[in-house]
Amino acid sequence: MNLFSPNIAKSRKLEYSIGFSILLFIFKILFSSSDSFLYHFANEFIVFFTLYFWLLYLIDFVHTKLRSPLQLVLNVGILAALFFFFVAMSTMIFDLKTFTPHQNFITSIFSLIISFICFIAAAYIFSAFRELFFLRQKRDPKTYFNTMIVFFVFLFFSNLLIKIDQEFDYPKNAFYIVALILISINSLRVAWIAFLTKRQKIYLLILSVVLGILFGFNFSFSLEENILTKILVDLSPGFHSVLSLMMIYGTIYFGVIFFTTLFHLPTAEAFDRKAEEVTSFRDLTKLVTQVLDFKELANTITQVTTKVCNSDSAWLVVIDKEEYDLVSINNIGYVEADELSKKILESLNDETESLITLNRDMTEVSLKNDLQKFNFSWIVIAPLKIHEKQKGFLFAARQKDFPFDDDDKKAIEAFSDYASVAMENAMLIEESIEKERLEKELDVAREVQYKILPSETPKYKNVDISAMFIPAFEVGGDYYDFFELDDDHLGVVMADVSGKGISAAFIMAEVKGVFKSLSSVIFDPHDLLVKVNAILSESLDSKNFVTAIYGVLNLKSGKFNFVRCGHTPLILISEGRAERFTPMGLGLGLDNSEKFSDTLKQMEIQLKNNDILTLYTDGIPESQNAHLEDFGYERFENILIENSYLSTDEISNKVMANLTTFSKDNMQNDDITLLIMKWISNNKIVGEN
Amino acid sequence: MADFNVNVRGVGSVSVIDVKGYLDAHTAPQLENAFNQLIDGSKYKVVVNFNDLSYISSAGLGVFMAYVETMRENKGDIKFSNMQDGVYNIFDLLGFPMLYEFYKNENEAIEKFKESISK
Repeated sequence: MNLFSPNIAKSRKLEYSIGFSILLFIFKILFSSSDSFLYHFANEFIVFFTLYFWLLYLIDFVHTKLRSPLQLVLNVGILAALFFFFVAMSTMIFDLKTFTPHQNFITSIFSLIISFICFIAAAYIFSAFRELFFLRQKRDPKTYFNTMIVFFVFLFFSNLLIKIDQEFDYPKNAFYIVALILISINSLRVAWIAFLTKRQKIYLLILSVVLGILFGFNFSFSLEENILTKILVDLSPGFHSVLSLMMIYGTIYFGVIFFTTLFHLPTAEAFDRKAEEVTSFRDLTKLVTQVLDFKELANTITQVTTKVCNSDSAWLVVIDKEEYDLVSINNIGYVEADELSKKILESLNDETESLITLNRDMTEVSLKNDLQKFNFSWIVIAPLKIHEKQKGFLFAARQKDFPFDDDDKKAIEAFSDYASVAMENAMLIEESIEKERLEKELDVAREVQYKILPSETPKYKNVDISAMFIPAFEVGGDYYDFFELDDDHLGVVMADVSGKGISAAFIMAEVKGVFKSLSSVIFDPHDLLVKVNAILSESLDSKNFVTAIYGVLNLKSGKFNFVRCGHTPLILISEGRAERFTPMGLGLGLDNSEKFSDTLKQMEIQLKNNDILTLYTDGIPESQNAHLEDFGYERFENILIENSYLSTDEISNKVMANLTTFSKDNMQNDDITLLIMKWISNNKIVGEN
Repeated sequence: MADFNVNVRGVGSVSVIDVKGYLDAHTAPQLENAFNQLIDGSKYKVVVNFNDLSYISSAGLGVFMAYVETMRENKGDIKFSNMQDGVYNIFDLLGFPMLYEFYKNENEAIEKFKESISK
């Protein structure tokens, strides 16, 4: 249980303290002088609780209001000086021999006011000691402190025993001594001194001398006969002895502080630097996770490098596309840093795996002259690495001729690591933005593709048609379409645009436009494709091409006239056998001369009942399984043969089901398009045969 | 992703490009670089040795289409050799044999260039 943290609201604590103070005041006025034991008993208890509640309030106050230990020490000093002042002044004003607190009404009031001031001052000093005691403690040393308080309380009440019998003073002395020992032990808790800066330590050193002496005087005053002693003993003998103890506490404590600070002074500077390093690291860690702009971070890094490593200048160079790019400078001109870092890095010949230290007097002549020019004696270069790859360098340069020590180098290395992390973050973010952009682009491309493809397949009594399209993650540029040329003729096209993504989608749109407008004008497939090739050759990039099959089906006779321009073979399933047709023909956009027209061969197939014509893109035969084997033509044709008795929709589904099973372990990286036409010459509706 | 490798050799006045692995949209830029360097060095007689190429995509085919014009305008050419059947079928379907010269081995292709010089 903690003595000083009962569940009382802060405002309540103040109310209680003031309440008890008023009670004490009234009590003292009413029973100004009595010697009965009951009076002393009541008196001590009221004083005790007043003190207790003031302590409760002030402990909170000190804990929340004051963050700096030095300020606390200073306040304690002022209060100690106040005691000293009271003693000195009162001796000057009043005559010690004749003075008693109850001489008259004025002295009574005066004594009480002085008492209350001492009261609050004592409570404040105690709270301050407590705060300093717990400051920067790694383990919880509560027990020692609480034991000490318990003995303080014992001492406080042991004065009552003396009131009973003058001889009964040994418990008081015993408690006094135990409390003294505990005070000495507790005074050694001064870890917080280590965390002060050098200036603060010097300040504290001076302060502790003054305070130690001041408390010493106050203690000796408390032992001798003087006005303040008289007043306080009259107020409460218990309080007086505790106050005297606290003066000893102050003397010992500030004595300890004096010596500790003295011993800490020589290491203060090193400690300051370490502390600064730690703070910079913490700030940087925060920045790395919050700041997305690499440049801004680089500026912070060069700044802290200059500061923490005692260098005069620092700058950061990154390697961008095999060139050195100066990102940030601190205390050096842009042109100078650029020139110097290029010269240094050239002279190092890629031997830059780990930290490098350069000294003006030890480097090659050319570099030495450069360093002379910029007035640098020492330069440390730390590489920035991401996944073992060098991405840049952090430079720290010093003008004075004393080398960077190990601590400096470690810090520079650490800062360059931070820079690497920040750089990687920046790169990752850029990548994710780029990825998002690509995904948006893909969405657009896919939307274009869906709009270009026919929304439904035409229905005729003589031919059963099914079309299926499965887009790849990256839009592949597959296209198929139907053109009702007249009542008896249906034009069918299937095309595959080379390339992927949005550019493929745009070419596809153009291909659709050309076919749609020309197919109604030019009836002959050969002539149509020659014209299409001429148009596409104009607009296509030299490295792009389109493969296509275009045919015209006579809905009356079942004759299919077609040309193939670089496209996958047309497959005919007839009487349980598969046949591949690959008439000559160049891909569209490959050649824009007579050669295209000359080599393009038109072909005619006479369809018989239940014959199946299959058009498809290379996504089907080139689908791969986990062992990187192609789906191939034979597998494809066998499925078509086995299921040829089904409707075209069902055949399509069978093909897709087989294909999906085959390539389930491998990502589909091209569009898959399948167009199946089944000739039914006996005029029966599909599904009934 | 499967690997791709390009190596350029000089055999007399002819440059031989060895291609290896998978040639697709991701690896095509490496081959483009090789062609660009040849053009920068005014070397227009090129034989592409396909011996170690296992796959070619449409983007890969596009590379040859993009550079063949420049080569031919400068009295050079791109000739293909040592192609595996699978790869050849892709070229064949598109009609490349009607536009490009294909040889069983590299030397035949190089010889062909020499003949055209001596003529």
